[in-house]
Amino acid sequence: MSGAGDREPVFPTRQSLGAMKSKLKGAQTGHDLLKRKSEALTKRFRDITRRIDDAKRKMGRVMQIAAFSLAEVTYAVGNNTIAYQITESVRQAKFRVRTRQENVSGVFLPQFESWQKEDVGSDFGMTGLGKGGQQVAKCRETYTRAVETLIELASLQTAFVVLDEVIKVVNRRVNAMYARPAPLSSTRFYANGNGCSEHVIIPRTENTIKYINSELDEMDREEFFRLKKVKGVKERAAATEEEEKKKNARRTSDKENERQEVNGGGEGGGNVLGDEGDEDDLDAFEAEGFVSQFFLRAKDRWDQEPERLLRRFKAGSGNGEAPWKRFMSGVGVKRFVGFA
Amino acid sequence: MSEGMFYNVSNGYVEGIVRGYRNTLLTGQSYGNLTQCETIDDVKLQLGPAYGDFLASLPPNPSTSSLADKTLDKLVAEFRYVQANATGSLLKFMDYLTYAYMIDNVALLITGTLHERDTRELLDRCHPLGWFETMPVLCVATNIEELYNSVLIETPLAPYFKGSLSHQDLDEMNIEIIRNTLYKNYLEDFYRFVNEDPNIRGTPTQGVMSEMLEFEADRRSINITINSFGTELSKADRKKLYPNFGRLHPEGTLMLSRADDPEGVRIAVDGVTDYRTMMDQTGMGGGGGGIGNQSGGVGGDEGKSLEDLFYQKEMEISKLAFTYQFTHAVVYAWVKLREQETRNITWIAECIAQNQKDRIGNYISVF
Repeated sequence: MSGAGDREPVFPTRQSLGAMKSKLKGAQTGHDLLKRKSEALTKRFRDITRRIDDAKRKMGRVMQIAAFSLAEVTYAVGNNTIAYQITESVRQAKFRVRTRQENVSGVFLPQFESWQKEDVGSDFGMTGLGKGGQQVAKCRETYTRAVETLIELASLQTAFVVLDEVIKVVNRRVNAMYARPAPLSSTRFYANGNGCSEHVIIPRTENTIKYINSELDEMDREEFFRLKKVKGVKERAAATEEEEKKKNARRTSDKENERQEVNGGGEGGGNVLGDEGDEDDLDAFEAEGFVSQFFLRAKDRWDQEPERLLRRFKAGSGNGEAPWKRFMSGVGVKRFVGFA
Repeated sequence: MSEGMFYNVSNGYVEGIVRGYRNTLLTGQSYGNLTQCETIDDVKLQLGPAYGDFLASLPPNPSTSSLADKTLDKLVAEFRYVQANATGSLLKFMDYLTYAYMIDNVALLITGTLHERDTRELLDRCHPLGWFETMPVLCVATNIEELYNSVLIETPLAPYFKGSLSHQDLDEMNIEIIRNTLYKNYLEDFYRFVNEDPNIRGTPTQGVMSEMLEFEADRRSINITINSFGTELSKADRKKLYPNFGRLHPEGTLMLSRADDPEGVRIAVDGVTDYRTMMDQTGMGGGGGGIGNQSGGVGGDEGKSLEDLFYQKEMEISKLAFTYQFTHAVVYAWVKLREQETRNITWIAECIAQNQKDRIGNYISVF
């Protein structure tokens, strides 16, 4: 995947994390739906392909018969102006075509169907009255059948073209959603050449979520460090103040110890982190910070992959390690201080 | 017997020529060869001896219709030659032959005028045998009234229009009814001509031609009846289209005019053995079998349609016409035979072009 660095331009905030998550969810649902649609369309597509094959074969036979019946007419009538006579005597079409729409998984396919207009008389019914009339009638019948077949075929072919187009679009959308190579070989064929670059949205959203999570972690750590620092400074200030008070008190009461006390306070202020004397307080603070972080992360993990977590939780109880510890490391809390 | 003495004085040459043409008609052997062909080019090659020059200009693998056009061209050329050499009653007789094609042409042009097409391009589609000098003038007319009053009057067909069709009819009636009305008038006129013309009456021409025209009249009556089932043609109108002569006339035609279904037709033609046999052969009327057994290839039905049987019968009559001598009827028979030959060639070519070899034997071979 080339998309490691590919993410959406968002600020790594909790709000956008939520937005991204809902987006991911939507994308996955959409992906499922589209895939289902694609499958339904493909099924229909194959069905149509098969019917086109049948219809074409049938058309071949019917057209042959029809052309031959025309030859019979020419034979019986004895001249070749019969076709002209017939076309000239027809004023209104009896055989007509209408369209309707058929809905296949949200795709509208045009369907042609033939019908015979009832009130139109057979204008050339008397053509060949003197001779050849029976053949003309016969020919008319066979050609009616031929045209019916043609219309059926036209309907199928149109559906074929439309469906082909729609399947391409849907498959491209499916591919655009997801990272996995498409299950159908045909989908890969339909993707525009450089296959994988099409799998865009879901990977990108996942990347963005990952990015936001890591940024949030980083910010948490920074915040934690900052708070610690502030606390240290504050304590130092408080200690200095204490010293001052003591010194003042001592200065008032005992003036000879003054210089010594000032030096000792200076030493304590040099240790900025101040993690020796105040360890207990600090740990409690740390724990508090981590607990909130832990719950958030645990919830995230739980949302994303509950099975895996449960598995880990159970597996953890097997090898002597405390299950909760495994669980904690499972949800990503690496350093868990002062909670035991 | 006077025709035996004097016929050859004026018409002997033409008769000889026509008999010669008759001998160049394709035989069963030739058709056998044609049906073995794999491509239209093979057909063209097989037709070489009979049609030589006329097919030479065809491109490789011609369409069946252009092939048919070329075979028709040969008929037309020969007909024109015969016509040019004919005199007297034979010339008149041959004019009558062309009237049938004229009716088709005029009907075609009327259709074009009715639908306000450019009738000029229709002239190419007209049957060359039905060409008459004033035909291009038909294209000048832009509306039906003009066509009727100033143009049709000038054509040889004017007598057939007169009395039975007004110009309103041209506008309102179905063109097929007009065509068949004209054809009925034409047949009656032709029949009257062969029976009453002083030069023909009492000659074998009268006998042979009467038989042929009667058959033609009956065929039209039966066809019109069968083809009008299921159309808006009323029985009264239908009756008007039946020629007033023929073996079915008058009882048969009367019954035909009342027929509602193929069964009725069968009853109507029951009095004439030939037609009854035909109806039986097609299975029509017997058990209500479908009309037009020359069906669309699926069933591979070997049964012949009524049309086929009529053609068959026509060919038999035409063939027999050549057993007579000193008669104009050979010209008529020859034209019919040649037309059938053109149809046969077209049929075989179509079968080959469309790869429907199983039906290829459906042609009618006479000799």
